[in-house]
Amino acid sequence: MNSTKQRIAMAFMALSLATWGCANPPVDQIQTAERAVADARAAEAGKYAAEDLAKLEGQLTLLKKELDTQNEKFSLLRDYGKAEQLAATLTAEAQKLVQTSTAKKQEAQEAAARAIQAAQEAISSAQSLVAKAPIGKDRAAFEAIKHDAEALSLSLQEAQKALEQGEYLDAQYRAKAISDKAQSVSDEIERALAKVKGTRTTKVATR
Amino acid sequence: MNFRRFQTMALFLAGGWCLAAGSGCVQAPPPELVQTVEALDSQLTEVGGAEFAPEEYAHFVERWVSLKHRLEEDDDLIRWPWEPNRVADEVSQVAQEAALTLSLAMERREDLRRTTEEQVEEAETRLGTLKQRVEDLGSRAIVGKQLIDTELLVHQAKTFFEQGRYARALELSQIALQSVGVQTVSLTRALGRYADEEQVQAWQEMAARTIEWSRSSRAQALVINKADRQLTLYRNGQSVHTYPVRLGFNGILEKKHQGDGATPEGQYRILRKRGPGDTQFYRAFLLDYPNSDDRRRYDLAKDSGEVPDGKGIGGWIEIHGQDDHGLGQTLGCIMLDNSQIAHLYEQVSPGTPVTIVGALDVDNRVSRMLGDLAEFAAD
Repeated sequence: MNSTKQRIAMAFMALSLATWGCANPPVDQIQTAERAVADARAAEAGKYAAEDLAKLEGQLTLLKKELDTQNEKFSLLRDYGKAEQLAATLTAEAQKLVQTSTAKKQEAQEAAARAIQAAQEAISSAQSLVAKAPIGKDRAAFEAIKHDAEALSLSLQEAQKALEQGEYLDAQYRAKAISDKAQSVSDEIERALAKVKGTRTTKVATR
Repeated sequence: MNFRRFQTMALFLAGGWCLAAGSGCVQAPPPELVQTVEALDSQLTEVGGAEFAPEEYAHFVERWVSLKHRLEEDDDLIRWPWEPNRVADEVSQVAQEAALTLSLAMERREDLRRTTEEQVEEAETRLGTLKQRVEDLGSRAIVGKQLIDTELLVHQAKTFFEQGRYARALELSQIALQSVGVQTVSLTRALGRYADEEQVQAWQEMAARTIEWSRSSRAQALVINKADRQLTLYRNGQSVHTYPVRLGFNGILEKKHQGDGATPEGQYRILRKRGPGDTQFYRAFLLDYPNSDDRRRYDLAKDSGEVPDGKGIGGWIEIHGQDDHGLGQTLGCIMLDNSQIAHLYEQVSPGTPVTIVGALDVDNRVSRMLGDLAEFAAD
């Protein structure tokens, strides 16, 4: 009888030890957290919320340190509860950062697209003024202006390319520069047109 | 009774001790210290700590994240009352680290801001000088699209600067400065012949032949100096009058083909005088461009691929007056003020020799401007 009780107690202790000894690192949660941080980097959080991303990286380091601390302990004393909690917090914050960065990126993309549209309109307006310009001797002064308008069109293609490559601020500011220059070209033509208004225009065959 | 009193006293003392010990067990740092770190963290975000002090900021963040986590864990905060408050000490250390990181980030940011501001201003000034020189030299076609591109780069750099994005502003202003340098080199290459002694000597000889012809033939001749924008009327080999002239939008270059806006160089004659009703330019003298030398040059240029497809040699090169006052340029001709062409109109007749040269002195307006520009670019 005593022997049976002893055996039961020993079996119970062995089971308890086995249960304690089975504490495994929360691999899935950690992988999820790492993926979430990678997603935040991919969403260009480094560009749109650099400091928030740095904090995430800090949390990831903390999580790894906690894992190392537990892994270094004797297997029966390991406790991954804190690591699990850290991984869950990190995942939630990384997901939030993905959303924030995506929203900021979307906003920048829309602003760039609007700026390009405005630049296109400003160039079209300048080009239509160039087309209205008198020819003959008057063409001479417009020759350089025409070159400017053509150069602006080419530059707009570069702004468009920057937009396609995801360089939204570059695209936006370049488009803004193009708009302003196109406007000044238009103003120059308007002033010149005002001066030649009423003068005769004649076509010259060649020079 | 005594025992009860003793029991009450003992309970009272035990309670007091527990209260005193209990209050000392919590390792909570002063809330204002935590708030200080949080405020420093916000400031670091504002100034761009991750950009301007990346390593220091990463270290601070790592410590702060770890510490915040410990602060949230109650079980980790127990200490004996006689032990020092390690958490408060750590928060204090993190606050110091945050303050140092902030100071470093601000200092670096300010350094970059100042450097960028100087570079953007420099790019703007050099671009302005280049534009002015290009305008003065009438050489807009030489630099072509590059000038506009540089203008756009400077504009972009200014916008990035205004938005506090100094690194990109600096990068763009440096590209703009390089572009100004490249355009200066292009101008020097295209117009370097104005400073070339042999070339200037050839022009001097060409002009001397025309003046000698005027002397020996006891007739009028015209010499046009493109660099100094002057037309000189010679009679019997003597300079009689000098008129200021304007050239085409690309007049400073040597004419190569139709529509290039360049003014030809060579020895010509007036083919025809065109008076009121015969020209739109008040008065005009039609020259015999192209002559055999021009045709030979054109063929050579065409063979070497310098002439765009479909472009002929051009023609209708005139010395003329103004059609209007609003647009003071021509397409490759030589333009005088109406009062001056009216005066000249009375002095010359068809057949009068007209020699057009680049310059008559190595120290001419174009070579001086190029020298200034090169010096400015080298600074």
